[in-house]
Amino acid sequence: MTFRLYNTVLDVTAVLAFVIVAYFVTYSQWLGKSASIILPGSFNQLNTIFLSLIIEAIPFVLIGVLIAGCIQMFITEEHVKRWIPQNKYRAILMGCLVGSVFPACECGIVPIVRRLVAKGVPLHASIGFLLTGPLINPIVILSTYMAFGNDMKMAGLRMGVGFVAALLIALLISTLFKSNQLKHSVSGLYGSETLPQSEVSFMKKLKGMCVHSIDEFFDMGKYLIIGAFVAAFVQTYVQAQSLFLFGEGLMGATVVMMGLAFFLSLCSEADAFIGASFSSLFPSGAVLAFLIYGPMIDLKNTIMLLSVFKSRFVFTLFLSITVIVFVCTITISMVGR
Amino acid sequence: MRFHFYQFLKLLLLAAFAFFLIQLHHTGEIVKLINPKYVLMSQVAAGVIVLLFFVQLGRVWQGNADEHASCAPGCTEDHDHKQSYVKRCVSYLVLLFPLCTGFGLDLTSLDATIAKNKGSLLPQGENAYQEEPSSKPPTLDENKPIPNNNYLTDEEYEQKMGRLNDDVVEMNEDIFASYYHEIEANPHKYKGKTIQMKGFVYKEEGLDSNQLVVARFLITHCVADARVIGWLSESDQAAQFSENTWVEVRGVIDVGKYNGVELPIIEIKEINPIPEPANPYIFPILTKVL
Repeated sequence: MTFRLYNTVLDVTAVLAFVIVAYFVTYSQWLGKSASIILPGSFNQLNTIFLSLIIEAIPFVLIGVLIAGCIQMFITEEHVKRWIPQNKYRAILMGCLVGSVFPACECGIVPIVRRLVAKGVPLHASIGFLLTGPLINPIVILSTYMAFGNDMKMAGLRMGVGFVAALLIALLISTLFKSNQLKHSVSGLYGSETLPQSEVSFMKKLKGMCVHSIDEFFDMGKYLIIGAFVAAFVQTYVQAQSLFLFGEGLMGATVVMMGLAFFLSLCSEADAFIGASFSSLFPSGAVLAFLIYGPMIDLKNTIMLLSVFKSRFVFTLFLSITVIVFVCTITISMVGR
Repeated sequence: MRFHFYQFLKLLLLAAFAFFLIQLHHTGEIVKLINPKYVLMSQVAAGVIVLLFFVQLGRVWQGNADEHASCAPGCTEDHDHKQSYVKRCVSYLVLLFPLCTGFGLDLTSLDATIAKNKGSLLPQGENAYQEEPSSKPPTLDENKPIPNNNYLTDEEYEQKMGRLNDDVVEMNEDIFASYYHEIEANPHKYKGKTIQMKGFVYKEEGLDSNQLVVARFLITHCVADARVIGWLSESDQAAQFSENTWVEVRGVIDVGKYNGVELPIIEIKEINPIPEPANPYIFPILTKVL
């Protein structure tokens, strides 16, 4: 087949794609018009929150999948072996530290972590990275600082306690799980068949990176969509007050705030302001728990994690994060008193 | 060389997502969803999706042997070559869903129902401290149709904050958040000043029949993190205004108590219904940050 014919075929395909999309847009507008008569007004509110979560997350997810594609194409297992310390504790510390300087948000970090683990980064180091990535970075520190009336105390506590909690969680995970816990066993697919990277041209690698990014985007996208929908549903139909049934004390308030952090699924860059708005209702220890717990795990990224890791692992991780963050913040509140 | 149907479906989805983003930016509806501060980022994202569209185009037609060619070193199987028919259908339907609701349904602005779910704005009981300020705005010529790009220079910001000391405080959208926090923090300092603001009527449980809250949503990042801000207001006409009605009020700042907590209260002198403004949301000022 000639090159020219090939190009023509591509052009036709692109045009065809546009026609189908245009048809789809018109059709869903017509469908929406008829549906809006039946749907309650609150569904429109839900839809607005749902879409805003997605639109807000898309740039971050794109950054995440592009970095993941980059790791896939440009980093080999040998690199990983050379860079990551063999010693478990030092590897955990390194994971947490790298996460602290890496500006990621919790939805963008899942594809990156999956790639890292698949490339042979030990699970405990990756988990440290997963936890501190969204929690500790310049943007989050700045927004926390501002949200609490330009007071460094809350931002400092968020970073400090969060970092310690992340270390503890990663440590706990390292004693519980030895294998990589990925859903598909990829270990056999790596290594042996890997060509020496220099044999593949840079352009080809770049294209490969984009291709991986596309697949990853769709892979993560569907879980992001499900998570965003559930979070929007909770925001529209569940009253925050209904969480108050857990009581008024410090323990109860901390549980409530952690529950809120989980279900609201806010981006870590924005949650400081929401957290601050609760400081009139809750003791600051509970607000701190909200600020630390939300970036580490929430509804949106649990669903994404479930698509990548074995569910038993995700459940254990969820449990360890919950318990450790709870214990850490309660301890701090007791000491601070 | 052959036609890969699933790759073609992905191509369609990429095109639709790109189209959706571009349309939101083109019509300006994007500010109903996210803080304008992040618009540029979202535009770049749209650009990246368009780029990925062209990469994907090449995958629709390729030889069988070529299938893994693009990912030569260490290809994983997670390209979903192996997924079952049903699983694929479900995932494409999930991806299609936000596009359907996005193109099909109109974006609305949040209303008092959401405000209620967010927890109470007014102090409840003793362990709470106040959350009710009022504020002063700059003059009307500042009320540009796009107070969205909420970047102010330091000078502008100082100037606007200076107007807080005028006798009449106008709560314009661009400075709303700053005035709000300032008056909330020092209600006594601003007691007796006349205030003018727009907002929607919000009634929390426990309010008297002559009380209402004139509220706005403050958005930091996207609509999902919206929170309500507003002041307790008192007026004989309060009962006539149902929740979610947009009103323009003129009143005097007073300091009162609600559930034993001191907070600013607006004694309404004049209250008139208005249509919902084009920019219903308040975005925090960015100068102080950068």
